[in-house]
Amino acid sequence: MRATEGADRGLGSGDAETSVALVGAPNAGKSALFGRLTAEYADVSNYPGTTVETTAAALGSLRLSDTPGVHGISSFSEAERVTRTAVLEADAVVNVVDATQLGRDLFVTLQLTDMGVPTVVALNMMDEAEADGVAIDVDALESALGVPVVPTVAVTGAGVDKLRDRLPEASAPESTPIDSYYDALPDGVDATRAEKTLLVEGDEPTARRVGVPGLATDGGDAPLAAVGEREAVYRERRTRVRSIVDDVERVAASERAPEERLGDLLLRPATGIPIALALLAAVFYVMGVVVAQRVVGYAEGVLFARYYTPAVEGVVAGLLPASGWAAPVEFLLVNDNLGLATVTVRYTLGVLLPLVVAFYLVIGTLEDAGVLPRLAVVTDRGLGRIGLSGRAVVPLIVGMGCVTMAVVSTRMVGSRRERLITTALLGLAIPCSAQIGVISGLLAELGVVWWGGYLAVLLGVLGTAGVALDRTLPGRRDALIEQLPRLRLPRPTNVARKTANRTAAFLGEAAPLFGATAAAVSTLDYVGALDAVVGALRPLTAALGLPASFGRVLVLGLIRRDFAAAGMTDLALSASQTFVGLVVVTLFVPCILTMAMVLRERGARSALLVWVGSWATAFAVGGGVAAVLEVIA
Amino acid sequence: MVVALSEVPSDERVELVDVPDDECRARLLRLGLLDGSVECRRRIRNGPVVVRRRGTEVALGRSLAREITVERAPRDGAPQ
Repeated sequence: MRATEGADRGLGSGDAETSVALVGAPNAGKSALFGRLTAEYADVSNYPGTTVETTAAALGSLRLSDTPGVHGISSFSEAERVTRTAVLEADAVVNVVDATQLGRDLFVTLQLTDMGVPTVVALNMMDEAEADGVAIDVDALESALGVPVVPTVAVTGAGVDKLRDRLPEASAPESTPIDSYYDALPDGVDATRAEKTLLVEGDEPTARRVGVPGLATDGGDAPLAAVGEREAVYRERRTRVRSIVDDVERVAASERAPEERLGDLLLRPATGIPIALALLAAVFYVMGVVVAQRVVGYAEGVLFARYYTPAVEGVVAGLLPASGWAAPVEFLLVNDNLGLATVTVRYTLGVLLPLVVAFYLVIGTLEDAGVLPRLAVVTDRGLGRIGLSGRAVVPLIVGMGCVTMAVVSTRMVGSRRERLITTALLGLAIPCSAQIGVISGLLAELGVVWWGGYLAVLLGVLGTAGVALDRTLPGRRDALIEQLPRLRLPRPTNVARKTANRTAAFLGEAAPLFGATAAAVSTLDYVGALDAVVGALRPLTAALGLPASFGRVLVLGLIRRDFAAAGMTDLALSASQTFVGLVVVTLFVPCILTMAMVLRERGARSALLVWVGSWATAFAVGGGVAAVLEVIA
Repeated sequence: MVVALSEVPSDERVELVDVPDDECRARLLRLGLLDGSVECRRRIRNGPVVVRRRGTEVALGRSLAREITVERAPRDGAPQ
């Protein structure tokens, strides 16, 4: 019976398009290999977990897909689910094994062969293994595994041709020790060998799909009966891994590599925290000062204000007749708030483009060096207090440069729950650099005491909101189990290519979204809905002790945060009014670009939560501050 | 001697004997961290613990490290 199961898998099966999936641990070199095997380029980095979706490209007549890195085929995380599905659907798998981590990575290899998935092993990073004094007997490994093994160095391309040649040899042993566990399954289970393996390992999605009576849980409440089985299967597999590694690997005693000493420095709080702070300060300086202020300032203030906008306005005025039906069209195209041909283009090319490029350059460099997971480790303790793990440190810092880009970087943060908390905190209490510029100007006029007060209010809100979300959101905090990649010198070509790819992908998605939002807001503006909003805000602004004109500031803030702060400079306000106004403006809703990104990354429900939550927090905290100031005064 | 992983000083070799959470245990098992002893490479005060086995370095969060029971290997040479 088992013999027929294998017949529809493998590269010889052929009429429909044959698919091959690249599977392996995070950071084992799947994406680099993907780039070598095909003409396409997948994101390559030294940060585990950067591939969150599968990327596919043609490899001759085959379809090759890159998958998120995993340490096993199961469903413990979003990445694992994606990879499990890809493995179950593929005709064959190229299992990328990090030669320096043989003892870790062979677990996946043996799991694949247990599942009966036709496999070729790419034994990658052979150069680093050699440098480490690790010698691997490739022939012995091949016969122990029962599948082809090809040594490769993906970043240089060594061994890649051989790997391509041997792809048709992808195979799996007829039977493996896993067979004895299948007896535990109920009789008459209609499942492939791959599915049976996942079933004895207690994989719930597989149980639900196959519909095993007694194994599948209807409500999802009772755990799968096979958890004990999973442990036995995993332990048995680890035993096989150990014996293979003992047979094929020889490790010469080697000296401590310099990068290891650097790794030590990063992990020791006394040195790691200053290094982390210095890196974060550098990130903030590049993103927040050099790019967000100088480059963007030049692009907006000179390139667009002096040349582009007047030219476009001239063209539009020349093309359209002066009256009648053309008025709304002209408004849509060139209005000062969000004109499609003027302000929208200026935001996309003059503001977003430089920030996106800078962001991907900085993040790409840190990823390539393998620094990010270590930053996460040193900051884990502090961020744990507000319901986050150390992985959230990068989004929070990037947020002080540009909250929009920070929302994109929340992908690095582990679970959905944690991503939502990070996004909410970003939207709520992290002022972006554009805003920080205007705000510091206004606070400087008030004096240092107000400055301290402002910081205290913001940090208080950040902490309170973090703790509140951590307590109220369903689920529990993820345990941090973070694999630390080895430190490497960043490769400039790699970083540059990655930046170009990601920037193009990002703008391709963000620009149309932003254009549509801009058109919608302009329409509301034209029909007078925005003025109605200003009117409706009057009771709220009055409750804060602020003039009605502050409502106009807030409406501007719906579009862009620094507009709101800048709008305040035109109002004649007392010191305490300015302070209250600044607190409200900072806590108020994120800019329209950020909201577009939250919508894309987190979905409508989260976007609504962030948006409504920002309104509520801004007015509640602003009102509280106003009341306190009144008592003091 | 049996203690929590979070109590183990840096540079000591220990064996992770009990990981109460099923999923965490499965994940550590896959990584090979339950096969014999691991080196406790760094313990960050009130923060994560970094353990290492054969060049695989893994940081375990503080709350997880507190739940994990370890067996401390007797030190080579003079007993303390």
